[in-house]
Amino acid sequence: MGPALVPRRSALHSERIPAYLALGLAVAGFVAVLVIHESGGGTIDAPWAPTLDLRLTFTLDGLGALYSLLATGVGAAVFAYSSRYLPLHHGHVPRTRPVMDSWRFHGLLALFMVSMVGLATAQDLILLFVFWDLTAIASYFLVGYDRHERESRVAALMAILVTGISAVCLLIGALMLYAEYGTFSLPELFEAGAQGSTTVTVACALIAIAGLAKSAQVPMHFWLPRAMAAPTPVSAYLHSAAMVAAGVFLLARAYPLIQTSGLLLDLLLAIGLTTIAVGGIISLTRDNLKQVLAYSTISQYGYVVTLLGLGGPKGALAASFYVIAHAIAKAALFLTAGAVTEATGSKTLSGTGGLARAMPVLAVASGLAAAALAALPLTIGFFKDELFFAAAVERGTLATVAAVLAAGITFGYVGRFWTGIFLGPRRAEPATIPALLVAPVVLLAAVAVVGGVVVGPFERLAESAGLATFGEPTPGKAAYHLDLRAENLMALGAYAVGALILVSEARWRAFALWVARVGERVGPARMYEVGLARLDALSDAVHFIEVRDLRTRVASVLLPAGLLVLAGILATPSDGLFEVGTIGEDDIALALMLIVSAGAAIAATIPRDHLMLVLVVGAVGFSLAVVYALFGGPDVALVAVLVETVFALLFLSIFALLPRAVLRREANLPTSRLRVRRNAITGVLSGLFAFVVAWAALSRPTPEESVSVELYDRTEDAHAKDSVTAILADFRGLDTIIEITVVGVAFLGIATLLRKGRMT
Amino acid sequence: MSLATRTVSRLLLAPALMIAAAVLVKGYADTGDGFNAGVIAALAILLQYVVFGAEEAERLLPVRRAGLCAVAGLALSLVVAFTPLLRGDALFTHVPGPGKDVVKVGTLELITAVAFDIGVFLLVFGAIVGALRLIALHDRTAELERPPAGGLR
Repeated sequence: MGPALVPRRSALHSERIPAYLALGLAVAGFVAVLVIHESGGGTIDAPWAPTLDLRLTFTLDGLGALYSLLATGVGAAVFAYSSRYLPLHHGHVPRTRPVMDSWRFHGLLALFMVSMVGLATAQDLILLFVFWDLTAIASYFLVGYDRHERESRVAALMAILVTGISAVCLLIGALMLYAEYGTFSLPELFEAGAQGSTTVTVACALIAIAGLAKSAQVPMHFWLPRAMAAPTPVSAYLHSAAMVAAGVFLLARAYPLIQTSGLLLDLLLAIGLTTIAVGGIISLTRDNLKQVLAYSTISQYGYVVTLLGLGGPKGALAASFYVIAHAIAKAALFLTAGAVTEATGSKTLSGTGGLARAMPVLAVASGLAAAALAALPLTIGFFKDELFFAAAVERGTLATVAAVLAAGITFGYVGRFWTGIFLGPRRAEPATIPALLVAPVVLLAAVAVVGGVVVGPFERLAESAGLATFGEPTPGKAAYHLDLRAENLMALGAYAVGALILVSEARWRAFALWVARVGERVGPARMYEVGLARLDALSDAVHFIEVRDLRTRVASVLLPAGLLVLAGILATPSDGLFEVGTIGEDDIALALMLIVSAGAAIAATIPRDHLMLVLVVGAVGFSLAVVYALFGGPDVALVAVLVETVFALLFLSIFALLPRAVLRREANLPTSRLRVRRNAITGVLSGLFAFVVAWAALSRPTPEESVSVELYDRTEDAHAKDSVTAILADFRGLDTIIEITVVGVAFLGIATLLRKGRMT
Repeated sequence: MSLATRTVSRLLLAPALMIAAAVLVKGYADTGDGFNAGVIAALAILLQYVVFGAEEAERLLPVRRAGLCAVAGLALSLVVAFTPLLRGDALFTHVPGPGKDVVKVGTLELITAVAFDIGVFLLVFGAIVGALRLIALHDRTAELERPPAGGLR
């Protein structure tokens, strides 16, 4: 990657406009959320689909305010950064229409932000699901933004498959709760399900699966490092503060129900601790800047899940506070990685280093952000770990030890990241980068430091989010205490472990690499790949059977349909199903016509010449039209005659398009024995099924109160005398609409094929 | 084609279209509806194609816009079907409703269901004529583009 190409000035400016608009939206949203929250929150409630019990209910409670503020606040920083970053990115990865792409990019980022706010404030499970999927869709396009690169496309598909399939679990969970309690409204569900039950536990487990997949918890974590293929602003926004945060948000939102089951809490704890370990250890092995941060994000959302698993007021409060501190610090580090890569052209720790003197502002700002993540005093991060330790101590010795180790690993990889970039020998000369690539980092770092000195407002926000999570007040008292309380000792222990990790890299490196390799070989990512390949192969196989040629296509419809119908007949009582009636004098004409059409149908199997085949098949249709007429269905008969005529014309005109020699050769191709036999079996079997069904249907006496009788009676209400027309244009109009739409689309298809894209 | 076929098919055009119109208009009172009418009218046009050949038929008949006709028909039907949603009614709530008086022009009853049927008629007519017309024209351009190889026609 060379120095950035500098686009023309005017184009460059118009590339920035969408970013500024998104920035304006983010700032306005931030201010609005802040004002509304400070004035006591608010609720919007409007009917959406009353027949389905769906309402548009949004409430800005503490939890909603926390995640909305993160989405808009970090969003503002990221959008400001992106206004300069995206033109540079377009310089590396040339675009044919950079301005259009900038609109698309920032439009999707803004959509993501709005969806996050919607998600955070939604009080209805289905509404929640809609916003949940909106974020997944936006993330798909954002991760796959460099769509000409295979890596981006694979990453985007992986992200939407993992988070999208698990989203179905959320929907199933929501429907289960609805089936049990008859409402999708969260407050009502919290009240009704407060005692807990098996349904609540299973539904919450399903909802938790969706949340865990989105917050990249083991074993559904592998999509997040791949998603780093996205441009840096996307990584900074989605994969530190928004999308992954949405996962733990869902857990917090459903927490009043989740905490009714001790088993679920223990599972969350186990998954959280495993994720901390796996993410932390792999993060220590990565060389790519964004990969280090990606695994660190996995690990750190593992903290939040662990805290939710620990439960209690302390766990709920700590989880909320952790999300705030992490999002601010991690977004700053992601933006740092992007700025460093833009300056040096290197994406790796081994390619950078010693940049502290050349980029002092960035070094200090990102150092503060790193300090916040590593929980050093005087940063907001210190309190996230203080609350974390407090919650762990309450749980017992094992949790205490695990907490110290986890915090130690965090210290280790964050330290490795920062020192790797800014200290040591300089390996690349940095170019000058726009100030707006550094300013957002400075801003976020400043917030992290302010939060470390004046923690009050942040703690109040976390408290009010904790209230919404836990259901009861979760008072915190974050402050610096210069004494030997457990939290302080644990923090010192964690720093020691972290420092040890930093200085003894040679000792543990082999082990950590081994863990990472095992994960790649047999881990869930491998299972995903194999599973996807198998599904693909299965789909290809089915597709091949179904659409190889007209014969297999017809057979693949007729045979399964016939088998289904047969199963239906076997499963229903057969009394009076297969009656043999008598043939009266009136029926002779009908019987004769039926014999004629049956004869024509059998004759249709004989000719090899295309023209003859069309004529014989036409004969079947026309004789059936006569049968309809005799049966007293003039409408159907008329349609049959007309359709047969048009069919014959279509076939003939298409044959006229084909060279006669080809037609002749095709007609004289030898047919394999196997195929003849297979065709015969398919034909006879599907014929038999049809025969049985027709027999069964005709044996039933005409039901008195069938739908058709009602439709006959209502024909007059529709101002019609002909009930067939009334059915087509009125009673069953929706069917007609679908059918004529199919006709229209088929016509467009024919026109496109025949014109080969030419407009005439 | 012989002079007799040419004359007869020419003479049949107007009555066939007339019948199509009748089937469409009388649809609500008797056998037939927009679909049938569309096919009948299309067959009447196609007969001209078969007898006179694509070029001459194109010259004699205003059928160049058959595709547009199909799209317009589909649009009309969709509008009739979905407009009730705007008033908060269910799909296919036709006006005038059951029991209300209907304005009659001869056999034609002025209700929205008839407009829907006219949309179906236009779509079916346009799609059939458009498709076969394109096939006929394609045949001609194909001949122009590559000279017939041995054994062709």
